[in-house]
Amino acid sequence: MPPLVAAMLVGGCAAEVVRRPADFTARTDDPRYVVLQPAMFRLDSGYERTIPSGTKFAGAGRVREGAVLRPVETVFTIEGRHMHEAYLVLNGNQLVGFYLPVEKAFSPLSRPVELTIEERKN
Amino acid sequence: MRLLRIGTALLLVTFLAACATGPKLAEMRSSIPPLKSGEGRIYFYRAGSMVGAAIQPSISLNGKVVGDSKPGGFFFVDRAPGSMEVITSTEVEKKLTFVLDAGQTRYVKTTTSFGVLAGRVQPELVDNATGEKELAETSYIGQPLK
Repeated sequence: MPPLVAAMLVGGCAAEVVRRPADFTARTDDPRYVVLQPAMFRLDSGYERTIPSGTKFAGAGRVREGAVLRPVETVFTIEGRHMHEAYLVLNGNQLVGFYLPVEKAFSPLSRPVELTIEERKN
Repeated sequence: MRLLRIGTALLLVTFLAACATGPKLAEMRSSIPPLKSGEGRIYFYRAGSMVGAAIQPSISLNGKVVGDSKPGGFFFVDRAPGSMEVITSTEVEKKLTFVLDAGQTRYVKTTTSFGVLAGRVQPELVDNATGEKELAETSYIGQPLK
């Protein structure tokens, strides 16, 4: 399919981001993490995202599906019909989905990807 | 050939008329008020591109129109912290949601894309480094500052 047609279809007919309500528990400490290896993945809506190595995150809290990491000094969004600011949700070293702080919802990633991160003390 | 020249000239005039005019950020930085305690700031901007220049929808923030998406233009609003919902409407409605914290500055870029019948304008949250850099190339189109 020609890229222009594909872009029109993805942009115009993309489905709403799949999500379900999530109970978010904030954490009081502020652990910092850094991504050691870039991760590329495709959202269920068809859009692609890359998390470059060196991207920093802060531990924001938890949802039932895993630990919630908030981007630091950058932004992360997921996109379907609309665009939503999103925090990462990790179960172990697997990126399993995203927490949407405005919608207070969890958006699953149907194909979890491995994310290599390291906690930084400073 | 003559028709081509006339067409090009008309296109250029249309583009120039559609583009924002006003002071650059560097020229007006001193007149931008400091952020009040307990509020956050959102900059809205659009790069000065010819693509879709005639499409200039209003930008709504939490249900209220705060300005227009004009090529090469920027403006800002200050708000109490909380959930933000930005909407631009052309042939389709495009929405962006994000959180604004107290003392935080966020950048929302509007971009054009191809639609089925017309172009679309979509709001996008960008990181501060990108926002600051790209904003410097645009002109202020907001309310007059005291």
